Amino acid sequence: MYGVSQNIKNTANIILKILVVAIFAFPFLWVISVSLQTDAEVNTFPATIIPKTPQFNNYVRAWQAGPFLTYFKNSVVIIVAIITIQMLIMIPAAYAFAMYDFKLKNILFSLVLIAFMVPTQVTFVPVYLMMGEWGLLRTLWPQILPFMTNAFGIFLLRQYFMQVPEELIEAARLDNASELKIVYKLMIPMAKPALATIILFSFVSHWNEYFWPLIMTNTTDVRPLTVGIAALKSTEGFVNWNTIMAGNMFLIAPILIVYVFCSRFIIKAFSYSGIK
Amino acid sequence: MAKIEFRNVTKAFDKNVVIKDLNLEIEDGSFTVLVGPSGCGKTTLLRMIAGIGPQTSGQVLIDGVDVSNVPPGKRKVAMVFQNYAIYPTMTVKENIEFGLKNNKVPKEQREKLINETASKVGLTEYLNRKPSQLSGGQRQRVALARAMVKNPSVFLMDEPLSNLDAKLRVQMRVELIELHNKLKTTFVYVTHDQVEAMSMADTIVLMNEGKIQQKASPEVMYKDPDNLFAARFIGSPPMNVCNLDHKGNKFGFRPERVDITDEYVNDTAFIMEGVVVTREMLGHETIYSVRNEEGITVTVKRLDDKWRMDQKVFVSVKDIKDIYFFGKDGQRIRENDNDYAYCINQLRGVKNEEN
Repeated sequence: MYGVSQNIKNTANIILKILVVAIFAFPFLWVISVSLQTDAEVNTFPATIIPKTPQFNNYVRAWQAGPFLTYFKNSVVIIVAIITIQMLIMIPAAYAFAMYDFKLKNILFSLVLIAFMVPTQVTFVPVYLMMGEWGLLRTLWPQILPFMTNAFGIFLLRQYFMQVPEELIEAARLDNASELKIVYKLMIPMAKPALATIILFSFVSHWNEYFWPLIMTNTTDVRPLTVGIAALKSTEGFVNWNTIMAGNMFLIAPILIVYVFCSRFIIKAFSYSGIK
Repeated sequence: MAKIEFRNVTKAFDKNVVIKDLNLEIEDGSFTVLVGPSGCGKTTLLRMIAGIGPQTSGQVLIDGVDVSNVPPGKRKVAMVFQNYAIYPTMTVKENIEFGLKNNKVPKEQREKLINETASKVGLTEYLNRKPSQLSGGQRQRVALARAMVKNPSVFLMDEPLSNLDAKLRVQMRVELIELHNKLKTTFVYVTHDQVEAMSMADTIVLMNEGKIQQKASPEVMYKDPDNLFAARFIGSPPMNVCNLDHKGNKFGFRPERVDITDEYVNDTAFIMEGVVVTREMLGHETIYSVRNEEGITVTVKRLDDKWRMDQKVFVSVKDIKDIYFFGKDGQRIRENDNDYAYCINQLRGVKNEEN
C-alpha cells in the first residue's frame, strides 16, 4: 500500500514540476519559434508551433533593420559601467554603515533608504533637464550616472556585514591588515551570496531597462538594445512579429548565456553559509 | 619578550566606568592569568593590550613604550579569541599566512614559517582544508598557529579553551604550558575558571568589579589570600566563611583542612557539632556539608567516604594557621596585625559558645 501511494505521489510531483517548467519556459520557446517563422506562418490561425523551415534570415533582417551593433555595444558598456561603479560605491558605503560610528550615520542611512523608495517616474524630468544642462544628452552618461549607487544593495550588504562577528575583524586588525584589505580579503568573500544576488538583480533590471533610456536618448547612437528592438515595430510600417522576436533574441541571449555559465556559481553562492 | 605596564588606566563604555585608575605590571616572559567573575574587566584589560578596545584614559606600555597610539597590527602582539575567529573563507594555510603577508614577509620565508608552525601544532595534513571541515580542537590549533607564526612578543588569550570539551581542555592546558616553556614569551591569559588559572599561571591577577583583588603566584594565592574575595574565589569547593562577631568580622577555613570525628576533640582551633546534610562522592574524594542547629553550614573535603547522611559528627580545624581572619571591609587580618589577638579571642568565644 505504502509503495503504491508513494508512487502516485512521485508521479504527481514530477507532473507538477514539468507543468511549472512549461509555464516558465513556454514564452521563451514561443519567442524562438516565432523568430524562425515566415511572414505567412506568423499570421496563420491556429498559430504555428514549429516552423516548417527555420527562417534564420529573420535574424539578419532584424540585425540590418537598425544599427544593432551600436545598440548592443551601448547596452554592454552601460551594464558593465553601472555594475562596476555600483560595486565601487556600494561596498565601502555598506562597510562604513555597518562597522563605523560617525556623526549623522543614522540620518545618512535613512537618506539611502528614502532614495530606495522614490520611483523613477518622479525623478526623470529633473534628471533629464540636469543632463541637458550639463550637455550629456548625446552621451551614455544619462543612462549610467543616475544608477551609480544601489540603495537596495547598500542595505542588503550592510545587513550582511553586520552579521560578521566582530572578533574576525579584530583578528584581521591584529594581523596588521588595512581596512581596505579587510574589506576585499575578508568581507567580500564572506558576502558572496549577497553580492551575487545584488549583481544578478542589477544586471537583469538595467539590461531590460526601457523607460529610462527611451526618455534620455534622442539619437540612435546612444540607444541600448531595448529601445532599438522596440523601434523595429515602426521601421517597416507594419508589425513584423518574426523580426521583432528575432530582435528580442539579441536581448535575451546574453542573459541566458550568463545564466548557463554562472548558474552553478550562483547556486553555490546562495547555498554557501559561513561557519561559526 | 616584553613587559606590559598599565598606568592609571580607566575604561568607560559610554558613561559606565568599568575600570578606574588601575595600575598593573605584567613581567617579561611570565605566564600571567587574569581571572575573575564575568564582567570584572579582565577581557577589557586584554583588549587594551591588543589595542582593539583602547583605554579611555591612562597609559598602556609595552617594553616601556607607550602604545596608546600604536595600531593593533604594529604592537607585536598576537591574540587567540574565545571562538577562534579564524577566517571562514580561507584555508588553514591562508589563515596562518594572512598576517605574514600583511607584514610583507617574503614568500620562501612564509612557506618555511608556515610549515614549521603547522608541524608544531600538528596541522600539517590539514593545511589545505577550510575551517568548516575542522573539529573544534583543530580550529583552536589554527588560531594558535596563526598567533605563533608571527613570533609575537606578547601572546594574548581570551578564554581560548572554554569552547572545548573537558578532556580536550585538560590536554590543551598541558600543551599551552609546554608552549610557554618553549617560547619563553609573555603570555597573558584570561579566564573565569580558577582551576585553569591555578594550573597554568606563574602569576595570577585576580579581579573583581574592575579592581585588582590580588596579584600573586598560585601558591600564595591559595595559602595567603589578601582578602575575602580572593579566599573564596580560589579553591574548590570555596572556603568556609563564618561570622566571628556581630561587628562584621569574619573567619574562614578551607574545606580540605577540616577533620570529621564522631567524638569531641580537645585542643582544636575550631570545632562544631552538626549533622551531615549532603554527601558528594567524587571517587578520589568526598565532599560533605555539615550543618549545626543554628544553620551554619561547613563544607568538608575528605579522602575517606565513611560518613553517612544524617550522621551526627564533629567538624574541627586543628591548626590555628589554617584559619583566616577578615575585617569588616573584607581585608585579611594577618598574624602581625593589631586585630589578630582580638580575633583569636573571639574565635575562642565562638568555640565556647558552641559547647
